[in-house]
Amino acid sequence: MSSEAATPTSPRLVVGIDLGTTNSLAAIRAGKGARVLRDADGEPLIPSVVCFHPDGRTLVGREAKAERLAHPDRTVFSIKRLIGRSVHELGDEPKRLPYPIVAGERDLPRVRVGERQWSPEAISALILQRVKQTAEQALGQPVQHAVVTVPAWFDDAQRQATKDAAALAGLDCLRILNEPTAAALAYGIDGSKDGTALVYDLGGGTFDVSILRIDDGVFRVLSTAGDTHLGGDDFDELLGQRILAALPRVAGKVGASEDPYVLQAVRKAAESLKIKLSSAERADLQLDLGARGTVTLTVTRAEFEAAIAPLVQRTLDCVQRAVKDAGLRLEQIDDVVLVGGSTRVPMVRARLRGLLGKEPHTGVDPDLAVALGASIQADVLAGNDRSLLLLDVIPLSLGIETLGGAVQKLILRNSTIPTSVTEEFSTGVDNQTAVDLNVFQGERELAKDCRRLGHFKLRGIPPLPAGLPRIAVTFLVDADGVLRVTAREQRTGVEASIQIVPSFGLTRDEVRRMMLDSIENAQADYVAREAIDVRNKAEAMVRGTQKALAMAELPPDQTYAVQKAVKALGKLLAANADAAALKQGCDDLTKVTATIADDVISAAVAKALREEQQGS
Amino acid sequence: MIHVPAPDPFAVFGLARSLDLDERTLEQRYLKLSRECHPDLHRAKETGDCIAVLQRAAEINDAWKILRDPWQRARALLELLSPGALERNKKLDPMFLADALELAEEVAFASAENVPQLRTRLSGAVASDMQTLRAQLARGDVDAAARTLHASHYHRKALQDLDAKS
Repeated sequence: MSSEAATPTSPRLVVGIDLGTTNSLAAIRAGKGARVLRDADGEPLIPSVVCFHPDGRTLVGREAKAERLAHPDRTVFSIKRLIGRSVHELGDEPKRLPYPIVAGERDLPRVRVGERQWSPEAISALILQRVKQTAEQALGQPVQHAVVTVPAWFDDAQRQATKDAAALAGLDCLRILNEPTAAALAYGIDGSKDGTALVYDLGGGTFDVSILRIDDGVFRVLSTAGDTHLGGDDFDELLGQRILAALPRVAGKVGASEDPYVLQAVRKAAESLKIKLSSAERADLQLDLGARGTVTLTVTRAEFEAAIAPLVQRTLDCVQRAVKDAGLRLEQIDDVVLVGGSTRVPMVRARLRGLLGKEPHTGVDPDLAVALGASIQADVLAGNDRSLLLLDVIPLSLGIETLGGAVQKLILRNSTIPTSVTEEFSTGVDNQTAVDLNVFQGERELAKDCRRLGHFKLRGIPPLPAGLPRIAVTFLVDADGVLRVTAREQRTGVEASIQIVPSFGLTRDEVRRMMLDSIENAQADYVAREAIDVRNKAEAMVRGTQKALAMAELPPDQTYAVQKAVKALGKLLAANADAAALKQGCDDLTKVTATIADDVISAAVAKALREEQQGS
Repeated sequence: MIHVPAPDPFAVFGLARSLDLDERTLEQRYLKLSRECHPDLHRAKETGDCIAVLQRAAEINDAWKILRDPWQRARALLELLSPGALERNKKLDPMFLADALELAEEVAFASAENVPQLRTRLSGAVASDMQTLRAQLARGDVDAAARTLHASHYHRKALQDLDAKS
């Protein structure tokens, strides 16, 4: 392995930050290894909690967590579950949170505290600021640059929102790094052990699985799968439901599940039950809720495991899909790495061992692995280490909406990033100077089943007859997994300007279900998609041929033959004929035009351009 | 919408245009190029994340995706040797299409015990397509090669569908 001496032109201090659902922390590369940065008390984990105290103070971390019960409606936690999403997508999640969520601009969620409204980015920024301060105290110098981790399954909008949070915290985020990839780095720091590794990352709110090939210092992600809405919080939620059910009913009072204090107390009790059940076969609970009464409850591990079994099964389904997407079989996985606090649950380990037939590695503390790995990538980006290279992938396919609501996929999921694709677009109406593109992320065939990332408006297209402008649009996914779009009109070389309107239009449930659904619904999607495609094609052919006929000077017998075929196809369209009939109509028209098509089109284009020049 | 082809993947990898590339050599070349051009390792030189560096890294990744897959490699090669040959030879023999349709149905309704036997048959068909293609290219018959490639797509698709099933 080659390792050049580090002589960076501008030595920089770059830390790795794990911005977690439950806890956050920073780490720094130190010699051959890496170390986490601890606060004055020697604690590395900073709870991802912010409390807006009624006395005006803003508390972050442990101090904020301590206020959970005293000020449940002013203490914000699990903000990562809200970032980069819309209120609509959150569904009934806000109802389960003790702090109030309201819809702000563009239907984006805001946390309401007194008169003020806070965006998830702003709250994440407060957490990142605390992480930054802790790191600065531990290192004795200012920290400005960081690598921040996100779940591999985060989409474009969630990645962008995380970058925004870092910027708000005064950090220059050099890279958005996928958590399972970071964890893999922590386990194989110098990359000297070649092989195939599976990283299973079950955190507080998200689940990721990634398959990596490690090859002479190059960490190449082969595939990734996951669920941004599945984690330890959901285990707590199931235990919380049991506790709520055991609560004595008090007639005439507001439902217990709507009282922020009760919600928070139950949540806290559920978490402690879960932790006890990781080492004991049964756990007892005595919860005093004052006027609400007292709950006495015993939960056995078997009961807990029966409750979480469907959730654990969902993670195993993801594991199998990731292995398959990597083009591998389960037995070809050399190493299994566990990350995230929720992998402490014995059932999770047992089921994973059962599936893969291997004992998972647990050498690195699952709460620290992601930050440690991020600090290693940070060191690479600082220019200090040239022996390592990470090649990651995009988790979900990117595409654009075509006529009729189908999605044309441009970049397929699990493509190594950076990646780019260029497509040429034209106009549908004469003298059209702007084109709208809707960009979607997801696996399904129809736009309505994918998540709309945003809306791109191409402007400054030279006014020409319909179909003549050739606008080359390049979709580039950068190393952060974030999309960048550029456009150029080919005839004039004019750079078209792009206005991006980000939007989060669809329910998150759909994104979560997308992968499974895309398998189940592949057939139905295909038929629906094909029908739309054929219709679009037929309509375009009718329009195009009529236009060409009007412009080209053809002998009468040819004109007649073409007109006859165009009319026939037009009739089929008007009668809403099925895909097979339309296809036949298109084929018939093609047969007629095939022999003369080249002449007609070149003559038509030449004529259109001539008219254009004369007109101006 | 018209797809604009990516740059010549053979040129991106600095390799002679050929149907036959050694898998291991190709992979080594990919890793070497990635080390040379990945934006992560060029940040320190203040190149930042500028579009040109990203675009170059994207080209390498995209070329790798094409070259590592024999079918996509063959398609890229044909398109380079004779632009338009694939478009020209899209129309396939109706008899072949009928067979292909039957094959797709066979895959869709294959029972678990039939899968291994079907997989062997389809893998064989894909391999033999590539042999045919090689011979056609060797004697410079690009039109025949284009038809073989289109036909091979059906075998390849059936194999992928079969893998997705199990």
